[in-house]
Amino acid sequence: MEQALEVRGVSLRFGGVRALSEVSFAVRAGELFSIIGPNGAGKTSIINCISGRYRPTEGQLFYCGRDITALKPNARPSLGIGRTFQNLALFAHMSVLDNIMVGRHHLLKNNFITGSLYWLTGARREELEHRRKVEEIIDFLDLQSVRKAVAGTLPYGLRKRVELARAMALEPQLILLDEPMAGMNFEEKEDMARYIVDLNEEFGMTVMMIEHDMGVVMDISHRVLVLDFGRKIAEGDPATVLADPHVKRAYLGEADDIVTDPDEAPVPAPAETAA
Amino acid sequence: MMDYAGRAAAADTYPKLLRRNAREFGGEIALREKDLGLWKLFTWSDYQARVRDFALGMVELGLGRGDVIGIIGDNRPDWVAAEIASHAFGALSLGLYRDVLDEEAAYLLSYGEARLVFAEDEEQVDKLLALADRVPLLRHIVYSDPRGMRKYDDPRLMAADQLAALGRARADREPALYDHLVDQTEGEDTAILCTTSGTTAHPKLAMLAAGRVLRHCATYLAFDPKGPDDEYVSVLPLPWIMEQVYVLGKGLLCRMKVNFVEQPETMMNDFREIAPTFVLFAPRVWESIAADVRAGVMDASPLKQRLYELGMKTGLAALANGKPSALADLLLFRALRDRLGFTRLRSAATGGAALGPDTFKFFQAMGVPLRTLYGQTELLGAYTLHPEGAVDPDTTGVAMADSIEIRIENPDINGVGEIVVRHPNMFLGYYKSPQASLTDVRDGWMHSGDAGYFNDVRQLVVIDRIKDLAETARGDRFSPQYIENKLKFSPYIAETVVLGAGRDALAAMICIRFSIISKWAEKNRIAFTTYTDLASRPEVYALLQSEVEGVNATLPPAQRISRFLLLYKELDADDGELTRTRKVRRSVINDKYAGIIDALYGGSRHIPVDTMIRFQDGTTQRIRTTLRVVDLAGRATAEAAE
Repeated sequence: MEQALEVRGVSLRFGGVRALSEVSFAVRAGELFSIIGPNGAGKTSIINCISGRYRPTEGQLFYCGRDITALKPNARPSLGIGRTFQNLALFAHMSVLDNIMVGRHHLLKNNFITGSLYWLTGARREELEHRRKVEEIIDFLDLQSVRKAVAGTLPYGLRKRVELARAMALEPQLILLDEPMAGMNFEEKEDMARYIVDLNEEFGMTVMMIEHDMGVVMDISHRVLVLDFGRKIAEGDPATVLADPHVKRAYLGEADDIVTDPDEAPVPAPAETAA
Repeated sequence: MMDYAGRAAAADTYPKLLRRNAREFGGEIALREKDLGLWKLFTWSDYQARVRDFALGMVELGLGRGDVIGIIGDNRPDWVAAEIASHAFGALSLGLYRDVLDEEAAYLLSYGEARLVFAEDEEQVDKLLALADRVPLLRHIVYSDPRGMRKYDDPRLMAADQLAALGRARADREPALYDHLVDQTEGEDTAILCTTSGTTAHPKLAMLAAGRVLRHCATYLAFDPKGPDDEYVSVLPLPWIMEQVYVLGKGLLCRMKVNFVEQPETMMNDFREIAPTFVLFAPRVWESIAADVRAGVMDASPLKQRLYELGMKTGLAALANGKPSALADLLLFRALRDRLGFTRLRSAATGGAALGPDTFKFFQAMGVPLRTLYGQTELLGAYTLHPEGAVDPDTTGVAMADSIEIRIENPDINGVGEIVVRHPNMFLGYYKSPQASLTDVRDGWMHSGDAGYFNDVRQLVVIDRIKDLAETARGDRFSPQYIENKLKFSPYIAETVVLGAGRDALAAMICIRFSIISKWAEKNRIAFTTYTDLASRPEVYALLQSEVEGVNATLPPAQRISRFLLLYKELDADDGELTRTRKVRRSVINDKYAGIIDALYGGSRHIPVDTMIRFQDGTTQRIRTTLRVVDLAGRATAEAAE
C-alpha cells in the first residue's frame, strides 16, 4: 500500500530533555493509525513535528514521498495535512459555523480586495460553494442544532467535535487527531469513535490519532504504535501490540514479572505522570 | 374554500389525489425539508415523481397487491412517498415508530408479513438486521441515507435512489404502467395498517381505507378549515393516526405545506423559522414548553422577571374578562410568541390526555387559540373538537359533524358510561383478527373503552379508560388517571402513578420534573448530583408535599392521596413503563415496582432500593438509595421533612 507518511529516525531535544529518540514508522494511505503511550512519552511531540510546530533535531519526515522536514507549518495544510489539538483551540467568541469556515481559509481564492467586488469576482459563488462543504461536515458530525451557537458556550464534548469539523474542513488527506476523546463521557466517546471510523471509511481520510482510551484504540485502529520515553517500543496490529510484554509493562502498568529481552536496553521505570 | 368532499370523492386514494394535485398544481410547493441548513423544496410534480419511481421500483422487485410494506425512520419526504407508493400498486403501508423496540418491531413485521421495509438510515437498518430470522419474509431493506452502509454486505439492502432508478427504468419501458396501476386502486380497500397504542398487550393493527381517511379529513376541514396557504411542521410520529391525517390526508386534500425538520434536536428552531399556522402537541409537550418558559424566566434578569410577571398578570386578567390586553401583548406575549414560533398560529390543538387548566390559560392568554380534540385510531383519529369560542379545558368539545354519532352506553346516575361512536368512515377491522374486531365493534358502533359523559352544554367529557377505573378496598371508585393529571398540572411533577385498587387508601409514586426542580434547587442553593440524588433531598420532599396537599384539597376525601414517595428514576417508554404516546402502563409498573408498592402500603417509612437501570445505549448503572414515604395522614410528616 502507498505510504502517506514516513517518519525516519526522528529525534527531538529540548536542551537536555530528549522528547523523541530515533523514532521511525510509516502510516499507509487509508489507514487508521494510533499512537499510545504514557503521559510524556512524546506522542504530541510527534504530531507537532508532522504539523510543523516543532522541527526535529535529527531525522526526516516524508509526506507522500516528499521531504517535509523543513517545510513551514502554514504550507502543510495545502499539502493535505490537518490536525486537532489536545487542548481546544477554537475561536471562543465565533459561531460554530464561522469556526468551521476558518478551516477553509487556505482553499479560498478571493482576498480582501477581490472580495469587496462580491458579485463580479466570483466571491459570492465561492462562498456558496464553501458554505455547502461546511454544511456537509455539519451534517456528518451532527452539529445542526448548534450551527449558530457561539463556540465558547458549548459543552466540552461538543467543542471537541467542532474542532474535528474545522480540521475536516481543510479537506486533508491525512488528519492528525490529538486525544479526540479526552475528557468525554462514555456516550460521547462512542459517538466520536463512530465519527472517526466513518471519517476514515467514508471520506477515505488517513487518520493518525493519539488516544489514551485503550478500549477505543484497540477497537477501531488498524495499526498501533507504542511510545515510552520518546522511544518506540512496539508497532503492529492491535492484537500483537496488546500481547507485547514491553507494552504491558510500560503502558498498562503491569508488574515487572515478565522476562525482559536481554537485547533491549533497559526501559526506565515510568515516572509519575508528568504533565 | 375548495369543495374538499367533492375532491375526496373524485380521487379517493392517495396516489390518485397526488396525481391530480401534480397535474393541477405541479409547480406549487407540496413539501419542504431542511437539509444542510437550507429548506429544500418539493413541488407536487417532484412528489409525484418520487412516488411513481418508488412504486414501479417495488413492482420491478416483484412486490404486488396485498403485500405489506414497512416504513421506519424520522419524518422525511421519503417516508410519505414510500407510503403513497405502496398504495399505488395495491400494497399496504405499515408505519413503525422510529424508537420501536426490537421485540415490538419483530412482532409487527412478522405479524404483518412485511416483504420490504423503508428504513431511513444506519440506525434503523441496524435494528432490522438484528432481527435476523425473526422476520423470515423480509426480502428488501431500502435506506435513504447511505452513511455507514459500506460495512454491510447483506443482499437485502438497497439504496432508495437505486430503487427509484429501477422504477424510472420501468417507467421508460412501460410509460402507461403507473397510471394503469393507480387507476386500479380503490378507496374502500385497506391501504394503511395503523398500530393502536396498546396499553396492555401487543398493539393491534387497524385496517384503514384511504378513501375513508380522505372523506374524514374533508369533514375535519369543514369544521376547522385549512388551505394551501397553511403551513404545517411535521414532528409528531408519522405512524400515529393524527400525523397520518395531517401530513397525508389533509396535506393531499387541502394542500397545506408540510415541513420536515432537519433533526429532532433542531425542532424548536426549525419550527420557529417556518412559524406554522397550525399545530397539534400532546399535553406533555405543551406543558414542557410552558415549563421551559418558566425555567427561562427564572434565569432572566430581575427587570425581565418583573416584566414577565406584569405581562402574565395583565394577560390572564384580560383573558378572564374575555378581551385581549394590548399592554400584555406589547410587554410580553408578542416576544414570547415569536420566540416559540407561534406568530402565525391560527389554530392549535392538544389531545390524548387532559391538559392542566393553568397551562391552558397560559397559552390562551398568549394568543395561542388552543383547543382540545379527542378520538381513536379506529375512528380515524380526532372526531370531537372544541368549537371556536366555546373552549372549556375540562371537555373535549363536540362531534365535528352530524354524521358522527356519539352516545353514552349504560350511563350511571351521573350520566357516566362508555363512549360509543359510529361514523361512515371508520376503520375496516383489525388486521388478521376478526375476533378482536367483533369485540370492539358491535352493530356498527365502536366501543371506545373510555368512560365519559356529556355536560349540560352537550360537550363530551372524557374521564378515563373504563378498565382503569379502580375501586379501593372500601369500595370507593376512582380514576387514577384523573388524579394523576391533577398532580401533573404541578410544574414540579413530570410523571406520577396513583395506586389504590384493592387497597385501603390511595398512594402516589411521583417522578419529579428535573428541568424545573434542578433550577429551583440551584436558586435555593441546594446541592445535588444526579436525578436520584435530587429526588431524595428533604427540601424537594417538602416542596412536593405542599403540591400534593394542594391537589388533595380539590378532591373529595375518599380520593385523596394518603401517602407518596419520589421515585429514583423517570418512567420511560424504553423500559416499557410508558407507551410510546406516554401513557402509563399500569400492569408493568405494578409488576416492576411490586416490592416498593408493598412496602409503601406495609407502613414502611424508608424503602431501601438496590437496582440496575439500563440506558438506551445498553449500558447499565447500579442505583442504591433509600426512598422515603411521606404519610399525609399526619403520622410521619414531621419526620419526612427532617
